[in-house]
Amino acid sequence: METRTKQFIIVGLVVAVVIAILAPFLASSNPDGLESTAEKILNPGVSDEAVVQSPMPDYIIPALGEDPISGSIAIVIGVIIVFVGAYALAFFLRKRDSS
Amino acid sequence: MHIPDGFIPLWQCIIYYIIIIVVGYFAVRWAKTNLQEKQIPLLAVLAAGIFAIQAMNIPIPWGTSGHMVGAAIVAILIGSPFAGFLVLAVVLIIQGLVFGDGGITALGINIFNMGVLGSFIGFYGFKGLRSFISDIPAVFIACFLGVAIPAVAAAIELWVAGTFPLITGLYFMGIYHIIIGIVGEGVISTIVYVAISQVRPDLIALGTRVSNKSF
Repeated sequence: METRTKQFIIVGLVVAVVIAILAPFLASSNPDGLESTAEKILNPGVSDEAVVQSPMPDYIIPALGEDPISGSIAIVIGVIIVFVGAYALAFFLRKRDSS
Repeated sequence: MHIPDGFIPLWQCIIYYIIIIVVGYFAVRWAKTNLQEKQIPLLAVLAAGIFAIQAMNIPIPWGTSGHMVGAAIVAILIGSPFAGFLVLAVVLIIQGLVFGDGGITALGINIFNMGVLGSFIGFYGFKGLRSFISDIPAVFIACFLGVAIPAVAAAIELWVAGTFPLITGLYFMGIYHIIIGIVGEGVISTIVYVAISQVRPDLIALGTRVSNKSF
């Protein structure tokens, strides 16, 4: 891989990780557009119980509690999983040189 | 606009799963014939950035918040709506499975709204708009539409599901996501497009790369 492409990846990941670390401190805790709509007009009898319990619900590490640091760690882990997942998927599906 | 479990009846969830499996088949075919190895770093970095920025909810009026979707800008930069679909599929699967954001049963409908509608509207919106206006405003408007129209679609789907009433659902989903589409999607997507056009224009797909008149 070219050096400047490596640099691009590093800079891109640093930006993503910085956003991930800051997100729990800066993000609005208000409900999002869909949740807010649901609070106002959800038809009676509809509930939003999750079918499966996820390992880091609501972007926190359960063992560390509901704390912004716990949130930062969870989101940084997510950034890494998504980067590796997207890279691997794209690499696996990419156009191969017909040599 | 991540729909949780319980909002969509199971049989309707299955329909959305079938739709995204069909789109996924074409996305795989697109990648195998078009996705160049040199585009992979940009695609993966955009996926990581979108995941991070989706965790950063921006406050909007009426005690509500919202975040970027990102499908449109991926589709524009990589040069295909299928790229936006693949990236949003990865992001939404991780969000649903690992972080409980968006239901597992609703994964199909969430990928359909954000990954399919967001990408196709953003990509073809950009292609259409740039024949009338210059590239930067075209990016802004296309990415705005890539959030606003899927939100309206979600309101209709939730009405079909028996979860929201139609008119008030359209009203609230529409008004919230118009604001989110401007501040969350349009502005951030435009910044990303301009930044990558400055540092690595060669990574942007030829067909959607900024033309000289824009700078």
